[in-house]
Amino acid sequence: MKMKLFRNPPHSELPFSIGVPALIWQVLFFYLPLAILVVTSVLKFNEFEAFEGITFEKITFFLRPLYLKVILSSFILALSNTILCLFIAYPLAYFLAFTAKRFKIFFLFLLIVPFWTNFLLHVYAWFLVLEKGGFLNNLLRLLGIITEPINMLNSHFSIMIMMIYYYLPFMVMPLYSSLEKMDFRLVEASLDLGASWSQTLRRVILPLTKRGFKTGFFLVYIPSFGEFAIPELMGGDRWMFVGTVISNYILGDETGSLGAAFTVVASLFLLASAIGLYWVIDRLIPWRIHDVKDAA
Amino acid sequence: MRSIKLEKLKKTINETAIIPEVNLSIPAGKFFALLGPSGCGKTTLLRLIAGLDKANSGKIFLGDQDITEWPIHKRPINIVFQNYALFPHLDVFDNVAYSLKLKKLHKQVIEQKVLKILEAFHLENHIYKSTSQLSGGQQQRVALARAIVNEPDVLLLDEPLAALDFKLRERMLIELIELQDKLKTTFVYVTHDQFEALTVADQLAIMNHRGEIEQIGTPKEIYEFPLTSFVAKFVGTTNILSGKLKNLDSEPEIEIPNLGLLKIYIPQKKEWMRENCDMMISLRPEKIFISKKKVKNFSNMVQGTVQSIVYHGRSTQYNILLKNQIRLQVFEQNEEHFPQEIIDYDHEVNLYWQKENVVILEK
Repeated sequence: MKMKLFRNPPHSELPFSIGVPALIWQVLFFYLPLAILVVTSVLKFNEFEAFEGITFEKITFFLRPLYLKVILSSFILALSNTILCLFIAYPLAYFLAFTAKRFKIFFLFLLIVPFWTNFLLHVYAWFLVLEKGGFLNNLLRLLGIITEPINMLNSHFSIMIMMIYYYLPFMVMPLYSSLEKMDFRLVEASLDLGASWSQTLRRVILPLTKRGFKTGFFLVYIPSFGEFAIPELMGGDRWMFVGTVISNYILGDETGSLGAAFTVVASLFLLASAIGLYWVIDRLIPWRIHDVKDAA
Repeated sequence: MRSIKLEKLKKTINETAIIPEVNLSIPAGKFFALLGPSGCGKTTLLRLIAGLDKANSGKIFLGDQDITEWPIHKRPINIVFQNYALFPHLDVFDNVAYSLKLKKLHKQVIEQKVLKILEAFHLENHIYKSTSQLSGGQQQRVALARAIVNEPDVLLLDEPLAALDFKLRERMLIELIELQDKLKTTFVYVTHDQFEALTVADQLAIMNHRGEIEQIGTPKEIYEFPLTSFVAKFVGTTNILSGKLKNLDSEPEIEIPNLGLLKIYIPQKKEWMRENCDMMISLRPEKIFISKKKVKNFSNMVQGTVQSIVYHGRSTQYNILLKNQIRLQVFEQNEEHFPQEIIDYDHEVNLYWQKENVVILEK
């Protein structure tokens, strides 16, 4: 008996009841509204607002090319944002975990600082950078790269810049924490056994940081799929994304149930795409042993 | 099988010299051990040879080739890490096959080579296990197999047995010796454990706290004829006595304050030796004979009192206080169940030794 006490980590002894408050919160404010949303999307009412039955009319309404195109553009936005964040975040996280050494805390602090200021402030700051007479245009002109100012605002470029700017820390953090837990001697062992840097990245570092990789990937992918504020503010109203369409319907007159239906359609697509991406990542990063937990 | 030569190799970290201009030749096809106290820089030296760290100055030669600037993955040198550094996401087979797969060898060739080496290391029943399911000794063998499957010119071993228990360590030492004998690969074995170093090495280098190499030789040369007091004290146990050199040209003696003259033997006269100059000698505890009786035919005899006795099993250690308050350690083999002479605490004893068994130290 005594042995068993020592073997089991103490958290396995904690009673189920301590999870109950969180569970109640989740049920009340997440699962219940979700259920209401799904139900609303299929209910049918007559003009006197009396219940008439169940219909999939509203769902099928959104399966038209116009709306599928909106979903597709959200998918492209989310995926490109996630991939760009990944490419920027991975070297940064690697630098923080292995190269920064005693300045590590300072750099991590710098990464978190933006969260202390208001989001809108960031948006307006980017306006100043990207506008025609703004910092970036002036800089490019000074360097002689351009002669006429470029219109950078209200474009895909400005949306992407803001998306990356906002979501990057969510990618860096999980990558950093899994890289930091990785034994660097494994990298040395790989190099010593004749692997080049890129081979070591593919065969050792990526598999061992797979958990952080996946966490960061979906931490960025899922919210950026439904992102509403950034495309709206940085893109003007030139492009429609999932978030824009939902907000239009929900805030519109008597179109709330249509908003619910579109949310359901978009969410199902998000779920399917996330499962698909998960599958792809699992196959892209080799991890031979499936019965051991993430050792990193 | 190629030799390693280090020329004025220097490594400093934050302006502290870890390795101060080391010159060292490691012969090809030999089992070479680098022995030194913890933190003396021996692991750094190994990392420089492997290419894991870059030297500040100096050169590294593999055979006749200057490999100082070669990147780590191009060097035909493999290292066995202290903690093994096995890949946790790969099973035993893939760990061992790692370097072969990088070479894009044919699948069947890889399988053949890996299975052969796993069999040689008695791991044939663990091929598809995860490395975390293996015991310490088995993990050690996987690390070795992974390093030699690619047939490196030089194999570096960084305290490879430090994590194993004593019995297993003794067995692994024998296995390592047999392995080296079979492969004829140049082995460079780094350890702070003199027992391991003396056991495995054909040649041994002793490194001091400053990262300098004090002496190179066979284990026997190092143990029996240490050049410096550091080597004498670090390898084995010894008694160091200091005094003045007398009668250099006739029958040399050392005069030890408050004790008297002791005969010494000088096989080869050195330049620093002058009449009356300061000198140190080393006298191994097992070279001293202890008795309460008068014994003839020994060149030296001193008297003392037994201060303490430590029983080691195969031998007994006596600590004897001489009249000049110096303490000498003496080892006596426990040859008989019922010794003729009982030596106990506070007994007056005579210590005898031959002058040829005294080693003259240079510093």
